[in-house]
Amino acid sequence: MSHHYLEVRDLRYAYPDGTEALKGVSFRLEHGEAVGLVGANGAGKSTMMLALTGLIFASGGTIDVGGTLLSKKTVGEVRRRIGFVFQDSEDQLFMPTVFDDVAFGPLNQGLSEPEVRERVTDALTRVGAERLADRPTYRLSGGEKRAVAIATVLAMLPDVLIMDEPGSGLDPYGRRLLIGLLRDFRHTRLIATHDLDMVLDVCPRTIVLHEGRIAADGDTRTVFSDAALLERCRLEQPSGMRK
Amino acid sequence: MEALAGASGDALGSSPVHRLDPRAKCVVTVLFVVAVTSFGRYDVSRLMPFVLYPVAIATLSGVSAGSVAARTLAAAPFILLVGLFNPFFDRQVIVRIGGLAVTGGWMSFLSIAVRSFLAVSAAVLLVLTTRFDLLCAGLRKMCLPRVFVTQLEFLHRYIGLLAGEAQRMVRAHDLRSNGNRPKLALVVYAPMIGLLLLRALDRATRVHRAMKARLFDGEIRVLRPLAFSRSDFLFILAWGGYFLVCRFADVPGLLSGLAGVR
Repeated sequence: MSHHYLEVRDLRYAYPDGTEALKGVSFRLEHGEAVGLVGANGAGKSTMMLALTGLIFASGGTIDVGGTLLSKKTVGEVRRRIGFVFQDSEDQLFMPTVFDDVAFGPLNQGLSEPEVRERVTDALTRVGAERLADRPTYRLSGGEKRAVAIATVLAMLPDVLIMDEPGSGLDPYGRRLLIGLLRDFRHTRLIATHDLDMVLDVCPRTIVLHEGRIAADGDTRTVFSDAALLERCRLEQPSGMRK
Repeated sequence: MEALAGASGDALGSSPVHRLDPRAKCVVTVLFVVAVTSFGRYDVSRLMPFVLYPVAIATLSGVSAGSVAARTLAAAPFILLVGLFNPFFDRQVIVRIGGLAVTGGWMSFLSIAVRSFLAVSAAVLLVLTTRFDLLCAGLRKMCLPRVFVTQLEFLHRYIGLLAGEAQRMVRAHDLRSNGNRPKLALVVYAPMIGLLLLRALDRATRVHRAMKARLFDGEIRVLRPLAFSRSDFLFILAWGGYFLVCRFADVPGLLSGLAGVR
């Protein structure tokens, strides 16, 4: 049985000021599945991402990552299995050089030096950024930063990849490269984004989040064909589907 | 502000000074600071040979003098404040240069300023020629308490974040102030500082989350192992010896004596 699944049951979260960001969300991602998580601003996407990695703890419900239930005791194990690519790559790159940043996770996993070097080289090659290894992270372009941020997560060999707005701030060429990269991955993927065209290209399945609840969960083209649903959830049909 | 935001750039160089083990540079810097600060309150001329160290390190490392001076001068207000009242309290004339009577207060003020600038410039050069993560790894190997070193790492990290946020805010402010800084600056800057703190805290929270997501447990690990080589040992020995001679022998006096004999 595969351990690369992610199952969320009745997930709830309320911010300290009482705002309910998640009001009982349930879904399951199977091994290798690529799922788009879409919704208007404030729908609960970013809160969901933080909750999935134990960066905030839900006030109700369960998160099961490949048989491990997320709790304060298992948060380390869950973070080993889930790779989280943040919305702003600037937040994700905090070491002086690209090499050190990609090595940060594997070193924290307690790997030996040859293993860490191998992981770093593999991850950078995977995103086409091996030539950037010795560059300072703050001197990279937006697209390079995004590629390196993804490499920092890939180097930890996660079972599940979750990404918050991976295409934000990228030029059309960078966005196209990213889509190619995301399509090539065989990880279980959950991609939160406003870029519905990207979802159409990468994710066969889409979950629509609206006011902290799942408004739709199904085949991407079917979901995006429902004009009334998109209107109600303050979304627009992707340009690739417009007649 | 821009210098602070990109402060780590110089530290990534590859000069012979950059390649030295951080522990060797730490030890020499500490020896330098101890030697310089141990002089008497009226000593000024005997401090002059110590200028060689920052000049030599800046030259060998390729770090620009302007870069060192800008950061050293940032400490000037604190340094001047320390010795500010000496000329008022100590009015005894201790030396005459030509017809000019110099009081003990002015001599001690000058001595404090020279010693402080030398010490600060050495510390600045240490940071500019050493990657901060390797410097901290070196401090850990030198058995400094882990809590202290981690605090230092975060302080360095957050200074960069704070400077980056401040840079963005100042730009936004300048773009909407018709090219003029307002005269009632405090009215504008006071709320900006509060906002800056909140923005920097937000940013710091996001960075900390990114670190935790990659299993950060309170210790920043670096791969490149520190290796103390013969050149590091020689670096300590050479500069240590030089500081020792300059501290206990009156080098300027000897040199001027020699020049007088000839």
